[in-house]
Amino acid sequence: MGNIVGIDLGTTFSALAILNAIGKPEIIPNVDGERLTPSAIFFDEENADLIRIGIEAINSRHLNAQRSVRWIKRHMGDANYCKKIDGKNWTPVDLSGLILKKLKQDSSVEHGEIQDAVISVPAHFDEIRRKATMDAGKKAGLNVIGIVNEPVAAALYYATTRAITGKVLVYDLGGGTFDVTIMDVKGPQMNIVCSQGDHALGGVDFDKEILRMLEQHYQDKFNAKLLNSDEDRAKYEDEAEDIKKTLSRRDVAKKMLYGPEGSMRAEITRDMFEQAISSLMARTDILVEVALEEASAKPSDIDKVLLVGGSTRMPIVQQRLEKMFGFAPETAVNVDECVALGAAIHAGLTTIREKPDAVPVGIASGLKDINLTDVCNHSYGTICAPVDKETGKRVVQNRIILKKNTPLPCEVSQTFYTVSKGQTEVEVTITQGEDSAVEYVNKIAMHKLELPPDRPAECPIKVTYSYDVNQRMHCKFEDVESGKALAVELSLNKNGEMSEEDLTEKSKQKYEVKS
Amino acid sequence: MGGLLLLLLIVAAACAGIFFPNEISRLCDYVLSILHRTTRQDEAHCFSRQNDQPVQDQTDVIQNVPDLNVLNCRVQKTIQKEENSEIDVFDVDICGSIHAPADLHHTTLKITILDVTEGSSDSVPVQARVKQWQAGESPSFCYSADLGRLPNKITTLSDWTSVAKLRIDWLLFARKGQRSLQFNVSILSARDGLELACTRYTYLYENPSFGYVDVQENAEHSKTLAVALAFAVSAADGRMFECEIELIKKWAKDNINLARSSDKAERELDKALNEVITFYRQGNKLDTYNICREIVAITPIAGRCDILELCFNVAKANGNVVAEELRFLKELANQMEIDGGKFRELMEKVIPLEMHEVKDMESILGVTSDMNTEIARARLNKEYVKWNARVTNTNPEVQNQADQMLKLIAEARNQYIVSETDLRQENNEPDHSEHRVSPRQGRKSKSKNPKS
Repeated sequence: MGNIVGIDLGTTFSALAILNAIGKPEIIPNVDGERLTPSAIFFDEENADLIRIGIEAINSRHLNAQRSVRWIKRHMGDANYCKKIDGKNWTPVDLSGLILKKLKQDSSVEHGEIQDAVISVPAHFDEIRRKATMDAGKKAGLNVIGIVNEPVAAALYYATTRAITGKVLVYDLGGGTFDVTIMDVKGPQMNIVCSQGDHALGGVDFDKEILRMLEQHYQDKFNAKLLNSDEDRAKYEDEAEDIKKTLSRRDVAKKMLYGPEGSMRAEITRDMFEQAISSLMARTDILVEVALEEASAKPSDIDKVLLVGGSTRMPIVQQRLEKMFGFAPETAVNVDECVALGAAIHAGLTTIREKPDAVPVGIASGLKDINLTDVCNHSYGTICAPVDKETGKRVVQNRIILKKNTPLPCEVSQTFYTVSKGQTEVEVTITQGEDSAVEYVNKIAMHKLELPPDRPAECPIKVTYSYDVNQRMHCKFEDVESGKALAVELSLNKNGEMSEEDLTEKSKQKYEVKS
Repeated sequence: MGGLLLLLLIVAAACAGIFFPNEISRLCDYVLSILHRTTRQDEAHCFSRQNDQPVQDQTDVIQNVPDLNVLNCRVQKTIQKEENSEIDVFDVDICGSIHAPADLHHTTLKITILDVTEGSSDSVPVQARVKQWQAGESPSFCYSADLGRLPNKITTLSDWTSVAKLRIDWLLFARKGQRSLQFNVSILSARDGLELACTRYTYLYENPSFGYVDVQENAEHSKTLAVALAFAVSAADGRMFECEIELIKKWAKDNINLARSSDKAERELDKALNEVITFYRQGNKLDTYNICREIVAITPIAGRCDILELCFNVAKANGNVVAEELRFLKELANQMEIDGGKFRELMEKVIPLEMHEVKDMESILGVTSDMNTEIARARLNKEYVKWNARVTNTNPEVQNQADQMLKLIAEARNQYIVSETDLRQENNEPDHSEHRVSPRQGRKSKSKNPKS
């Protein structure tokens, strides 16, 4: 049995934790001795084979911003993004794979070969982004045995390190994403109630607001642009991050700005900063309210608010939450590390469930009481064409079958009907999204279900979606009369990839029995 | 081709006798002449047609004693009670004699209904809304039922016997208004389908809703009205851009079926469209209110939304939507009885946020200055959830729109939502409130610029 590992692949920092002999997670420092590794990459200018990851990349990016990459998590799953370096196109999966490889290599130095791992993702990540994250893990040579939602991982760690009972709201404001999760906790029994998230709301966005202020200061004084190159931008992005951190401790931060027209001293107060980010903070408030509404809870129903992610260090976050809930949020857990630590616990639970014999007794004993019930993170549906009652015309629309926040495991069926006489096939589409309008949902799989010939219209097709505790989604499209079925599985395959397995042939034997 | 020129008529319908200056008398005459014809046609679309056919057959059998040597039928409209509701039905009764090949012959009943309002030679079938009443693949109504075995070779029903109760809401008539419906009743041999006896009865029925022929005609007419509105939108900001005109022309050619019938028809449509453009460019205006009322009268909501979508496309054709255009679009939606939610849904689908010259929160997000905080909060939260789910869409355009909408919603929240705590702070700390845009200030500023 190899090591059981959890990885927090963050927008700005990443971390790796391992389960020790008694099932307790521990952060493994990188080769520089740091517990967190910046999620940054720099492609060396002279040696094409030399790729710097982490703090080295951060330090090098001012030299040639074109050869550096940061915040790649923001682009995860984006088919249109690629970074071209020396004629090679690097996709978000490739680049994230490099970061994961660095974590794997560094931890292997002390702890031996790392293979099986659980990687954390924001709760709101869709299937495309989850699959991309797993693909990145595979590229790094990892066997991704599971994906865990970041707030769930943080809550797992939190709930296993202290005795708590009640409704817990996990407020996860990280470097690039924001998640809010509500869960019912009773000791080691944890039931996720719902999650909400924003893919583009995190520390990076706060930094951008500071950078905007710096640019404005310079413009006002010299009537000139402060940033005139990618390198300038890279430099001041880091300065902005530094100012933000200072403003979490002090009321004012001061910086020297060196631009083409001369230098100046810029002062940014906490008030100015908070005013600048008020729209971003409004977005966090909205999502907290929405999560409460989904959980049918009032602020007074929440027993604890757990802070996760480096951006929760900003005083405004704590003040707003205290105002909303009437008590101070919980800050005792290390906000930067708890996701990786919880991911390691999740990896342990997954291994116990999948390969119980392979788990050392100490670890199994340490995790034996933990019981986590997760929910479906998105709504899944299919595309159909019902007749509009008013116009009598068919309208193509997305029909949700499996609703977001349904507790796992779950199974739901709906019956649809063929449209025309003699219809010999049905195009079946698995969608992810909350809209009924087809253009606003993502199509995650498409297949054709062949039907027997010479039949009238309106033959029933039963569609069944199920989602198991291992994040595997099973879809079955069944022609009720003939028993013919098409099964599609969206899951982890043996290589750790999200696969879409068409089981038509197998199902033929199984379902063509009916005469 | 007169029907094709209809396109102009509507334009004219509103402006006839109102705005026509002398210098365009030629156009005026042209339009008015067609208007005269069209108005009459439109009346036919919208209101009852006169029944110009005498009612024949056995309509008088109800009053008179039926001849029992032949098969007779009568139809009465009655009410059938079903659970908690009452349903209108056609009650079909028969009486008289049926000649069968032998005693105890197994028979079936078949009923079809023809609309003979326009005369027997122009009759059209009544259609069925439900499959079991349809004749195979045809939507025409055809009712069949097992009549059982006739006791004798010649069976005589001396009293009226009810053989079918036909739900009227399951029938689809040709047109609205008074219709002459000819019920054809046949008794068939169950063995070989041979007709043993038949009869018919004509019933005058007042159909309260549009028939399937009306619907087809109205759909065509509605497209003409849509073109008229589209031109009005194009002219709303005082300028008609070439791209807007091209878009309308293309839409008209693609959607007005008559225009596709021949090259000549297409040329005539082109000519008509050009004359409408000239009409607008000369500064004339339409009574869009009446056009919208007519649209409401003949077009279901889905069709009205299609028209509004065309108008949105025209408004955005030149790359941005100015305040006048948006205001006019809202007015049209209102007059076409399209609610605010549907208006926003269509707008967000068609017009990217960056094309709005002014980001009017009321139009885009549905929050208004008279909403209380909780309602505005709920409205914005709902919008946020909707757009947040779209932000990971694989289509970059949808992604971009979603990103911008999330930012706008957050701004709106800062502007419209104020918590009780904030209010208290404002009251106690006047200095502090000067440094921030208070929600009330925000609201005031909105109301000063109501449509911006």
